Amino acid sequence: MNNILEVRDIHTFIGQFHILEGVTVAVPQGSITVLLGRNGAGKTTTLKSIMGMTPPTRGSIVFEGQSLVGKRPYSIAQMGIGYVPEHRAIFKELSVAENLQIAERHKGDLARKADLIFELFPDLKRLYHLPGGSLSGGQQQMLAIARALVPDNRLLLIDEPSEGLAPVIIEHLMSAIRKLAEQATVLLVEQNFRMASRLADRYVIIDEGHSPASGLMADLRQDNEQIQRYLGVA
Amino acid sequence: MMASKLTRTLRDNWLLILIFIGLLVFPHAVGWLTGSSPMGVPRGDRMIMRGESVRWQAVLIELFILSILAMSYNLMFGFTGVVSFGHALFFGVGGYVLGLALEYTQMETGTALVMGILGGVAICGILGLLIGLVSLRLRGVYFAIFTLAIAEMFFIYFGRLSLTRAEDGFSITDLPQWIDPAQNRLNYYYVALILFVLTFLFIRRLMNSPTGAVFKAVRENEDRAQSIGYNTLNYKLLAITLAGMMAAVAGMLQIILNKKVGPEILGITYTVDPLVMTIIGGIGTFTGPIIGTTGLHLLETVLREATITLGPIVIRVTDIWGVLLGGIFILVVMVFPQGVVGTWARWTARSAKSEPPA
Repeated sequence: MNNILEVRDIHTFIGQFHILEGVTVAVPQGSITVLLGRNGAGKTTTLKSIMGMTPPTRGSIVFEGQSLVGKRPYSIAQMGIGYVPEHRAIFKELSVAENLQIAERHKGDLARKADLIFELFPDLKRLYHLPGGSLSGGQQQMLAIARALVPDNRLLLIDEPSEGLAPVIIEHLMSAIRKLAEQATVLLVEQNFRMASRLADRYVIIDEGHSPASGLMADLRQDNEQIQRYLGVA
Repeated sequence: MMASKLTRTLRDNWLLILIFIGLLVFPHAVGWLTGSSPMGVPRGDRMIMRGESVRWQAVLIELFILSILAMSYNLMFGFTGVVSFGHALFFGVGGYVLGLALEYTQMETGTALVMGILGGVAICGILGLLIGLVSLRLRGVYFAIFTLAIAEMFFIYFGRLSLTRAEDGFSITDLPQWIDPAQNRLNYYYVALILFVLTFLFIRRLMNSPTGAVFKAVRENEDRAQSIGYNTLNYKLLAITLAGMMAAVAGMLQIILNKKVGPEILGITYTVDPLVMTIIGGIGTFTGPIIGTTGLHLLETVLREATITLGPIVIRVTDIWGVLLGGIFILVVMVFPQGVVGTWARWTARSAKSEPPA
């Protein structure tokens, strides 16, 4: 299978802290790959390194055959990568409509994707002209994902979509992510193992700045020892 | 279809249109009420600017000028989140360029006026772009300090430049008759009014466009705007360039009104005033800078002549204006944390939301 994204042995510092000490992630085209690991293991930093927001000092990141290392975040986004940061990173002072409009990379992107977006997230149609900040947490998360869908992104990086949301909303989000995986490859960070295991095809474990294990989700589900070691409460 | 669009425009903007009509008839209304001529008093073949109408025209012209300056500052500060302490630079350089074109070149007056205006706007645009290119990678207070330093540098330089008569400055004597505020102030009033309205409409149009949404996104979270594919530096450069050009126009209007160019137009007052007026009126609102400017400027005009008598002590308000302004500023910031317009919008939005859905 072709890998749309290959992260090989990256090292990333934040200030003086060596956060990633050699992380390798391969994301096959068309898959849903999830980064698993405890709090502070380096999952979010891995996504931020891919986006160029915390650029790695060593290692390589290759997207569709092109290196991303050294590129600025906006150029990386323009190459066709959608980033949905943690904590429902929408623009609270912009309306839902403006939040979606500014995500256009070419004129008419939003018009073409509106049907898909409103099918996935019908709420957004009703809330279209309200300020983003007046939406509930779940609605903001949906808007953040919808925003990444507006341009023709071929890879979506989604950071902890379920964080702080009610179970019924998580269910809705999961089916939406499954549906949008038909459009683009997804690399997901998810703490909630139940959600991750039902959603993803592949996993990569991130632990203390390393990536000690990866493989098919179906195999990990059987492997209680592995789950306990990297994801269980120590 | 056309008709319904027109009705909607009228309905949404009725108050603004009413105010505009009020400003159009204002000189004549004052003249009629006070029995003075809006043209001034003729003496021989010249006009003397005497009477209530022309006096109030000058007050409003200055109000338009300061409003344009405050609106330009708000474009940067309020809508894009770029905090500069050097806005007077553009105001002053615009004024100096036009003054130099009028007084120091051999061009015919009308040509000098046009060239001076175009040159001043262009130079301030380029200046904004250059300052932005050098310094916009600095964030927050470092950028602000950098702009302050540049503006003060120009202030000190022009205060000592013998070519422009250093601290004394030079007078504008060579001005086309029709625009001369000492001869045809009514014409100049309308010129300033039109520029004021155009600035307002331009900023509103810009901020309601997709580009404007990106400006606001940069203000709210620059990293986030980058991560969806925007080179945010370009937008901040655009904001400071446009704001610089608008401030240049304000500075030009000011030197024509005063008929004098001196280093005071580069002084920190023309940075602090728009900053304070924008904060009082409402940061990042369309009418806030105008309301803040109007409130403060009219208050200052009315109180300028007033005195306070405390027993044997007589205090002229002019002498303590700075103290009063500071007091007003503190009071307004405490009562209206988002400025008058911003807080008002929040109140009305809250009361609208608390109504049960129909």
